Amino acid sequence: MTTRVRLLVTALAAVLLAAVAVGYAALSGSAPDEVASTAVSGPRLVVVSNGRLATVSRSDPSGPREVTEQRCDRVYRAGGTTSCLRPVGAFKAGELAVLDAGLNEVRTVPLTGFPNRTRVSPSGRMVAWTLFVDGHSYAANGFSTTTGILDTKTGALVTSLEEFTSTVDGTAATAVDRNFWGVTFTADDNRFYATMSTGGHRYLVEGDFAARTLRSIADNVECPSLSPDGRHIAYKAAVNGDPQQGWRLSTLDLGTFAVTPLAETRSVDDQPTWLDQRTIAYGIQRDDGVNDVWAVPADGSGAPAVLVPEANSPAPPD
Amino acid sequence: MSGRRAPLALLATGVVTAAALTAIASSGHVPAASAATTTFTPTADTHVDNSTTGTNYGTSGQLGVDGSPIKRMFLKFTVSGVSGTIGSAKLRLHTDDVTGSNSPAGGSVRAMTDTTWSETGVTWNNQPAIDGATLDALGSVARNAWYEVDVTAHVRANGTFSFGVTSTSTDGADYDSRETGATAPQLVITTGTTTTTTTTPPAAGDPVLVGAGDISNSGSGDTATAALLDTIPGTVFTTGDNVYSNGTATEFANYYNPTWGRHKARTRPSPGNHDYGTSGATGYYDYFGTLAGPSGRGYYSYDLGNWHIVSLNSNISMSAGSAQEQWLRADLAANTKPCTAAYWHHPLFTSGANHAPSTATRPLFQALYDHNADVVLFGHNHQYERFAPQNPSGGLDTTRGIRTFVAGMGGASHYGFGTIRPNSEVRNSTAYGVLKLTLHSTGFDWQFVPVAGQTFTDSGTTACH
Repeated sequence: MTTRVRLLVTALAAVLLAAVAVGYAALSGSAPDEVASTAVSGPRLVVVSNGRLATVSRSDPSGPREVTEQRCDRVYRAGGTTSCLRPVGAFKAGELAVLDAGLNEVRTVPLTGFPNRTRVSPSGRMVAWTLFVDGHSYAANGFSTTTGILDTKTGALVTSLEEFTSTVDGTAATAVDRNFWGVTFTADDNRFYATMSTGGHRYLVEGDFAARTLRSIADNVECPSLSPDGRHIAYKAAVNGDPQQGWRLSTLDLGTFAVTPLAETRSVDDQPTWLDQRTIAYGIQRDDGVNDVWAVPADGSGAPAVLVPEANSPAPPD
Repeated sequence: MSGRRAPLALLATGVVTAAALTAIASSGHVPAASAATTTFTPTADTHVDNSTTGTNYGTSGQLGVDGSPIKRMFLKFTVSGVSGTIGSAKLRLHTDDVTGSNSPAGGSVRAMTDTTWSETGVTWNNQPAIDGATLDALGSVARNAWYEVDVTAHVRANGTFSFGVTSTSTDGADYDSRETGATAPQLVITTGTTTTTTTTPPAAGDPVLVGAGDISNSGSGDTATAALLDTIPGTVFTTGDNVYSNGTATEFANYYNPTWGRHKARTRPSPGNHDYGTSGATGYYDYFGTLAGPSGRGYYSYDLGNWHIVSLNSNISMSAGSAQEQWLRADLAANTKPCTAAYWHHPLFTSGANHAPSTATRPLFQALYDHNADVVLFGHNHQYERFAPQNPSGGLDTTRGIRTFVAGMGGASHYGFGTIRPNSEVRNSTAYGVLKLTLHSTGFDWQFVPVAGQTFTDSGTTACH
């Protein structure tokens, strides 16, 4: 219990003792549905706090935490829209829940698989998701993912990017081993970037939702995340091109295709997030399964630091 | 001295006498320093027979040793790539699965200076001299089992080494040759420091159940966890996915057999979804034979001391009323042991990020709960997780609840955790290891034993209901 108590104290440092008692009871298993929560105001980061959608202050991200009743394994928020990948339950498969600014559920899409990545376009209109189809992880050989996109304005639903026409270096890619993951949207609510895996390569592809096309523009780019100015991609680069060796968090200049490794030297298996034009956030899991959100400068300088303890799946203030 | 031989079949029964205990067979030893194990198969092996003096047996699948007619075995190994001091060298031989392969005296193993002989050239008439020291002797050997002798005195560095095996017994033994693949002779070299320090007192004869799931592939994790088993006696359990990726006979021969296969004779496995990657899991059933219960069925039970142990199959129907669930209820109803453990592959309780809890297993868990079982072990998610005693719905139950473990840290790879579930008490997603249960008459101790170089551990005690 020592570790858990310590974590709890960290999480609730600014909360009243009464709330600590409630939280302790929750983690002790006697009342799993009760968690401590404190209202947060001002610009807020969205995170997942052990399976619950939560928010923390952008200016005090390790301080008080507002934990909602929304159960999500992965979240993102932009333009007033929150995407929440619901966990696989005891008696139902998972689903995408689209929540409005008041966290009311406005649309659900039933999904099969294990929640992995999700993104919302800057305007809040487009929502994307990635699930592992049959367990496994990105470091495993032979895993499968499914990635889809929902246009919340028109209701158009693409359940799998495999439906799109994809090309590698201008040649049509039709291999059945194609897998897609990690969509990130541009500001025009049509173009997007994602990873396409085929033939042992993991390509950065640029997608066109209306034209239903994908084309490769770089290799060894996974889980892309487009910068606020639309000119850089933050991503995870397989070390020596081999995911078995882990990933180095890096950025790619879309104009020059120059790659900048970031100061985080630990392996990061996450789709990073731009908190602003200068800062990249991402999750790292401890040995015991507790996650922390870390941040590191986007230009390769500085050093990583914990941004939100005991949380994952960060999204910037919208 | 024959005491250095480790009769693996005997270890399985847990009735090894004190006189037979050695470093490999002593209880309560945990390696305190790093040790690396490398396994070599022969570059040549054959036998000669004085009743057929001109015949070469180099390509035979069998190696014979006998006093009448006289048969002698020759084995040659090339040890390379071993760095550091060789701590021990063990020659492992597997008896044929044929009538008459057993013997009251398995042969005497001697060093040889001649390393130039050819497997396909040696006959009785031109056999090389068995001219070196006697290294060790094999005692009584049974059919279809592994035996081990200590040849450290002869193998001190990289190089090529020949061994001759002779016998004066008129009831000879037959071993599998290198041509058999999975049961070929092995030379197991251990480098580095191995401890002989007793860290805990021997548990006064209480049986041990030790193992893990998600074990063998082309990586080295299974080698490291198998090295732990070398130091821990008792019955070995597996919680499925014994080999990757498809449960083929070749995968069992190439990945499992050289590592965990050393302890096959004392292993009581359970199958996983990857074992069922081969239709009907025939690779699994063919490899483990009767150790896996009735072939093709995958569920069976046995007793250890005061405990009843049930190995189940989560790859077939487990629904209420299914053949397996009905068998389990009858098996538990007939059980007279006061404590009960069970294990299977797919976890009912897990916080793993890769596989959700398998609710299809709940009828099995319900039957165990109804019969006051005490502990259930799972695999499938490649990590270690311990849960508090729970009822079948996952509620904390300190009265009748069953403590559960996910023991998917057998060596194949590691997965991360997702949302941490209620009643999850301890987790680790970075250390390979084995879970050791010491089965006392009224409770059990658990211990996560990490591989060399890892420090995570977890231990505790739970009383039987």
